[in-house]
Amino acid sequence: MTHRRKFLLGGGVILAALVYMIYAGVSQSVVYFVTPSELRAQPVAGKAYRLGGMVEPGSLKWEPRSLDLAFTLSDGKASVRVRHKGTPPDLFAEGRGAVVEGTWTPDGYFKASLIMAKHSEEYKAPHGDESQAGYKELLKTLKGQSEAPKLSY
Amino acid sequence: MIPEIGYAMTAVALGLALYGSGAAAIGARWHRPALIQSSQHAALGVFVLILAAMILLVYAFLTFDFSVRYVAMNTNRGTPFYYRITALWGALEGSIILWSWMLSIYTLLVILRYRSRHPEFYPWVLSVMLGVLAFFLLVMTVPAPPFQRLTPIPPDGRGLNPLLEDTGMITHPVALYLGFTGFTVPFAFAMAALITGRTGDEWITVTRRWTIVAWYFLSLGLLIGGWWSYHVLGWGGYWAWDPVENAAFMPWLTGTAFLHSVMIQERRRILKLWNLTLIILTFGLTLFGTFLTRSGILSSVHSFTQGTIGAFFLGFIALILLGAFGLVAARGDRLKAQGELDSILSRESAFLLNNLMLVAAAFTVFFGTIFPLLSEAVRGVKVSVGAPFFNLVNIPIFLALIFLMGVGPLIAWRRASRENLRRNFLWPVGLGIVAAGAFRMLGVAHTLALLCFGLVVFVTATIVLDFYRATRARLRSGERLLPAMGGLLVRQNRRYGGFVVHLGILVIALGVLGSNAWSIQTETTLRRGEAFQIGRYHVRFDGLAASEESNHFKVTGTFTVANDGRVLAVMQPAKKFYPQEQTPIAYVDYLMGLREDLYLVLGDFARDGSQATIKVQVNRLVTLIWLGGLVLTLGAGLAILPDRRKA
Amino acid sequence: MPARPAGEGPADVDSDAFERAPTPSARVPGPRNPKPSSEGSWRWTKWAIPLSVVPLLVLLAYGFRTDPRAIPSPLVGKPAAPFSIALFDGGRLSLDDLKGKVVVLNFWASWCVPACYDEAPVLERGWRTYKDRDVVVVGVDIQDTEEAARKFIRQFALSFPNGPDPTGKISVDYGVYGVPETFFIDRAGRIRKKHVGAVTEAVFTGEVERLLKEGS
Repeated sequence: MTHRRKFLLGGGVILAALVYMIYAGVSQSVVYFVTPSELRAQPVAGKAYRLGGMVEPGSLKWEPRSLDLAFTLSDGKASVRVRHKGTPPDLFAEGRGAVVEGTWTPDGYFKASLIMAKHSEEYKAPHGDESQAGYKELLKTLKGQSEAPKLSY
Repeated sequence: MIPEIGYAMTAVALGLALYGSGAAAIGARWHRPALIQSSQHAALGVFVLILAAMILLVYAFLTFDFSVRYVAMNTNRGTPFYYRITALWGALEGSIILWSWMLSIYTLLVILRYRSRHPEFYPWVLSVMLGVLAFFLLVMTVPAPPFQRLTPIPPDGRGLNPLLEDTGMITHPVALYLGFTGFTVPFAFAMAALITGRTGDEWITVTRRWTIVAWYFLSLGLLIGGWWSYHVLGWGGYWAWDPVENAAFMPWLTGTAFLHSVMIQERRRILKLWNLTLIILTFGLTLFGTFLTRSGILSSVHSFTQGTIGAFFLGFIALILLGAFGLVAARGDRLKAQGELDSILSRESAFLLNNLMLVAAAFTVFFGTIFPLLSEAVRGVKVSVGAPFFNLVNIPIFLALIFLMGVGPLIAWRRASRENLRRNFLWPVGLGIVAAGAFRMLGVAHTLALLCFGLVVFVTATIVLDFYRATRARLRSGERLLPAMGGLLVRQNRRYGGFVVHLGILVIALGVLGSNAWSIQTETTLRRGEAFQIGRYHVRFDGLAASEESNHFKVTGTFTVANDGRVLAVMQPAKKFYPQEQTPIAYVDYLMGLREDLYLVLGDFARDGSQATIKVQVNRLVTLIWLGGLVLTLGAGLAILPDRRKA
Repeated sequence: MPARPAGEGPADVDSDAFERAPTPSARVPGPRNPKPSSEGSWRWTKWAIPLSVVPLLVLLAYGFRTDPRAIPSPLVGKPAAPFSIALFDGGRLSLDDLKGKVVVLNFWASWCVPACYDEAPVLERGWRTYKDRDVVVVGVDIQDTEEAARKFIRQFALSFPNGPDPTGKISVDYGVYGVPETFFIDRAGRIRKKHVGAVTEAVFTGEVERLLKEGS
């Protein structure tokens, strides 16, 4: 029976390692979903959050050259200043919903590593200024600048 | 009329499948060959009806028949011809048709092959397969009917999801579903074994090749999915641990475990309960994948519809798991092992360990996927765990699996002697260590990368060594080199097919390693004529152009890529604006190479074309992943050739 | 291949001597067979496998209660933004005119297939049922051509007030992401619920009844 015990022991060790890895994995990578008021209520610097809210009109600043993006997310009750380095996603605009992932910094702003514009896959959306008329205009300004696109591979 | 005709076809097919399933069961229980015969005819009828329904739906797509709701939702007058055909499986309702059709093909193949063999199993297998088919037909009739009338008929349809206008998305679901449905065959045989009480090895021997086929298609589906993600989604990766990807990956893991553990049962008559559990889990997970993605219980970039369909799937999963495990419990007394593990240093225990690792990986993926749900149910806190969790937990497991991949096939059965270990592993282990050391010298500092590389070399060496020895033995008996090698592959196709598959996995592992360890990326804004340097590439922005395509509008950037003043390529990443979509769709352009890919995604741009923001990545060794898929295909092909040894 | 007893069906398996399935009395003890002597304990524990599935199924069923994709609108609970709309039938309608009534404000478009097609009859039925009980359904057609919109209204014989939002101002004020979206506004003029996607009979009746019961 010592044989059996050896296998059980081995299995036990593997199981314990697995449980530990899952525990460690979860505690290292868990992301809390919060609203701006929840974050404002008890911000913990360094903790990973997923923050959802509406981009406050007039708060959006984007500098294409340096890729500095800054805006304010609000849920109507509280607002949080967010900074990010990179291009805003396509549906991202003032007055629209957005979800950002990142951490709260002691300097009093939210440092986002990932920005997602809220959108629904289920149904068609109206196009703000990117409407058909907008496309047509863009088509006109961009036409003739270079050849029609060809596949390069 | 098309919606009504199509709906009638699916309803009749449902009736036939239910009848066939019942008839086969009654025929088996009370020995009525006529009923079994009639069940076969029902299965044929189901196949024909589903095929006809599919053709009808394609016809509706080609003729823009927007009175069919599904057609109106997934196509519009601008959708190109080919995509109007593949729009068939562009959304839930159509993919269920495709799924059922494939299942009906498998059912027909089972009938053709086994109708006069395995007389105890066959009718039960038929009954189970038709029962599963009936479930999918029920889904097609009640919660997700592809044939539903839309009134009044809209002037134009909504259009296909633009992300699906791609060859990857044409082939990915086909391969994936061939894999998913393929696991129904071993599952049905397992159920037949439990029902009849013949829980020996027969069901395993019979289904071995079916399992390989299903496993192969599932692997292919996953790889094509990764390739699609890589060249369409524009984030530069091929795997994001998204719930939808996980949903397909879990049955792959348990299916892989099953593929290996059946070999031990064949050989040593142990692990009977384990094998049944694995195939039930694998089959359950193929359903769970669809449940997860279509029920809306988890958010994902891919998920589509919510509705009652989730409840249907959950009910069926409950039925399958409770029924199948109930049968296992009822037959518990017949599932006792007839042997035992002799030593930890044996092939059995290496395989067992491999199984534990694969199941552990499946469990962690499962846990991470449903963790948000668990957390909300238990603690009421909305959280999620992302890619870092899955990577952290799975990397050690997969490294262990690669190690076992080298050990398992060569270590002796029962108890490995010191001599056996020395003979088979001394050289490979040495080579692995030397290779890792050499890479350390070359400047690779990352421990995980060194470990992974050393393991890959070790496993490759075991395979080469084995093949070399076997060839040498044949050469000694007077054969010439090439016939000897070819003969080995054909004569021992199971063994060497498996080795080739392992090589494919190793190549993929190198690709995953390379892309994670050495890829670089940056994001930058360039004025027209301006250039910047990334890796060995000099990328210059030459301007923007706009064009109007049949169903969308496209803005294309032109970038000239040079290396040391020599122009390598002109790359044209674009943004496609579909009227029915809220966001533009990125059109990625990349320069593919064995060593690295240069990957360009057009981001924001100035409306006058004077400046553009691009995301640039140099992705290392990604091509190896696709090449690994080719090697895998060769190996799987070799492994499913009929077994020549016993013939 | 194990020797198969010919002609014996599954009904007889308990008595057949299937080579590799030993009968309980002939069981071979092994590592996976911890207590070969105590039949009772196995009987009891063997059901543990199927039963262990149950909590999992319960958890998954719980998942139906939550909607991870719900977009919580910051506007819920806030006063509805005032608007004035030129109706297709002529005349104007503004939110101020509807003070004291329950308002169902629906954003739609004729190209929105199939959700708007699904909900149009529901809205019309709801309007007919409740119009005498201080409930008003208002349709706002966005991103559309007038011709297509009029055809849509004709096709569904819509009789509730409907008008276009040519400048997109109303949809911006209400933070509309797409169509259809429907806002339920109470008698006090506050947005109480935002519904994304096609409105069903149950949603319509449920919300309207709830708001009517509250009084004002």
